[in-house]
Amino acid sequence: MTGAPPDGTRFVPPELAQARTVALERLNRLYASWGYAPVEVPALERYDPEHPRSEQSFKLSDRDSGVLALRSDFTPALAQLVRASFPEAAAGDAGALRLRYSGTVWHAIHPELARTREFTQVGIELIGVSHARADAELIHLARESVRAVGLAPRVEVGNPGFVRALFELAAVPEERRGTLADAIDRKDRSDIRALVDELELSGPAAAALAEVPDLYGGSEVLDDARRLAPWPQARAEIDRLEGVVAQFEDDSELLLDLGMARRLAYYTGVTFRAYTFDFGQPLLGGGRYDGALLPHAAGFSIGLERLLSALPAPPPASAPRVVATDDVAARRLRAAGIAVLRASDADRAEALAEARARGVPFLVHDGRVEELTAGEPGELAALAALLGEGEEGAAGA
Amino acid sequence: MPEDPALTLALPKGRVMQEALRLLRAAGMRLELAGAERALRFDAGDATLIVMRNADVPTYVELGVADAGVVGKDVLAEAGSTLYEPVDLGIAACRLSLIRPRGATGAMARVASKYPRTAADYLRRKGSTAEVVKLAGNVELACLSGLADAVVDVVQTGETLKANDLEEVDVILESSARFVVNRAALKLKAEHLRPLIAALRDLTGD
Repeated sequence: MTGAPPDGTRFVPPELAQARTVALERLNRLYASWGYAPVEVPALERYDPEHPRSEQSFKLSDRDSGVLALRSDFTPALAQLVRASFPEAAAGDAGALRLRYSGTVWHAIHPELARTREFTQVGIELIGVSHARADAELIHLARESVRAVGLAPRVEVGNPGFVRALFELAAVPEERRGTLADAIDRKDRSDIRALVDELELSGPAAAALAEVPDLYGGSEVLDDARRLAPWPQARAEIDRLEGVVAQFEDDSELLLDLGMARRLAYYTGVTFRAYTFDFGQPLLGGGRYDGALLPHAAGFSIGLERLLSALPAPPPASAPRVVATDDVAARRLRAAGIAVLRASDADRAEALAEARARGVPFLVHDGRVEELTAGEPGELAALAALLGEGEEGAAGA
Repeated sequence: MPEDPALTLALPKGRVMQEALRLLRAAGMRLELAGAERALRFDAGDATLIVMRNADVPTYVELGVADAGVVGKDVLAEAGSTLYEPVDLGIAACRLSLIRPRGATGAMARVASKYPRTAADYLRRKGSTAEVVKLAGNVELACLSGLADAVVDVVQTGETLKANDLEEVDVILESSARFVVNRAALKLKAEHLRPLIAALRDLTGD
């Protein structure tokens, strides 16, 4: 065995693990407060070539020549869970179903550019409904998720339905739509024009394609888009985006972009990504995927490691404050939320040496606390009070 | 204390950097090198410039260390980049081509390239099963020495090929330098980047 973990995986030291725990707690509290119920799905899945990320999945052979895959994305597994356990919600007959999840996913990719092969996804799904209020709820929670970990959010919101409508109007052949959508999503006008020429597309909708990448900014973008694409099919998609933006009293943190055309075959409605200042990568992404896995569903997922890397370096993991030889006293302190190390030896001198060696400021021996090195102001008195020093018959913890 | 410039730009070393600087200045940016030609990172007035090998530009911009940069389409294709590419600067034009010894027609068994990913994609599209060997430079030598029976490399004028009795068999990609922008930066620093993009487009006729 060598010491290093496999490429694209890593060990998490205590201070980082602590920061992860704190971030996860805050996100879970946020989602719980909006009524999102936690669910879990297996990390081992049946390998399915139709899975949206099948090309990126780690495969394992099962006993009976079956093929399994490590979970590469939560959403498809969640959709299966919903179809199996909530058939009415899946069919859209039971109103909104709100679910949240967190866990590890694995991607069998070449690890590069800050992409690891093992990482943690945290996310929510709003299932069984499809309307502007639902989309706005998710965008709001995307924004609040970034805020929950202490960062200032900016959320870009688009609607790939707009690009899809233009593709219909310009009669872009099905097999080249992915390539053209990628060029639009990269805002690469040079490539868009080359493709329009190569495919011999003509007419006003084809001419509009190279202008789509510039439709980003504030709400003025909506009118620019209506001027560029005055056809009913395209207008309906602009209206759809406007309907979502209209749900926000304060839309100053929203950045519209009608050139968002990522995963055009998967996302059917509004899509979004969240950024923060001075950090070059998206913190989360999601959108509406009606019909892709379930008739009506939308959600987003956060890459937890990415989110944490946008935060300032975490403080050193807090060390225990007390070494104790006295189990009864230790129990009282722990009940009050204080981290207490159990001394390796019940002898006072041994315990004292242990506390000194570990840099722990307090020793508790025989019901009494001693300050070995200066603690926080008032800390000694607080510990003494918890131990009921000086009062006989203090209530046991 | 003077404030840091609002933008950080990643530029490739060498001739492309000089042409890029000329365009950026013409687009209204005040960029002073002031004898700092050999520095790797310097405050040039309207932007902090960081200077690197061209193949590294996509990495710096993708991760947001630079807000924007200038790099060839050939390098972007090889990196599988999804950066914004809002302006085709039209400079450093070249072709990425399949090159073989003059008259060679047989099936290829081994193809050498500085662009292994682009080469492998191309060969797969063409139904070839040739293996791809990654080399660091002077790829033509691979053909001449028998290391490989074809190479995928940049062709600018074709003079080197002629002199070595090599032949450009197929053009894989027409390349030119692009102004690339980090996805977050375009949105969060739009007030600086949007006018710059517009000015660069005016200059290049894009």
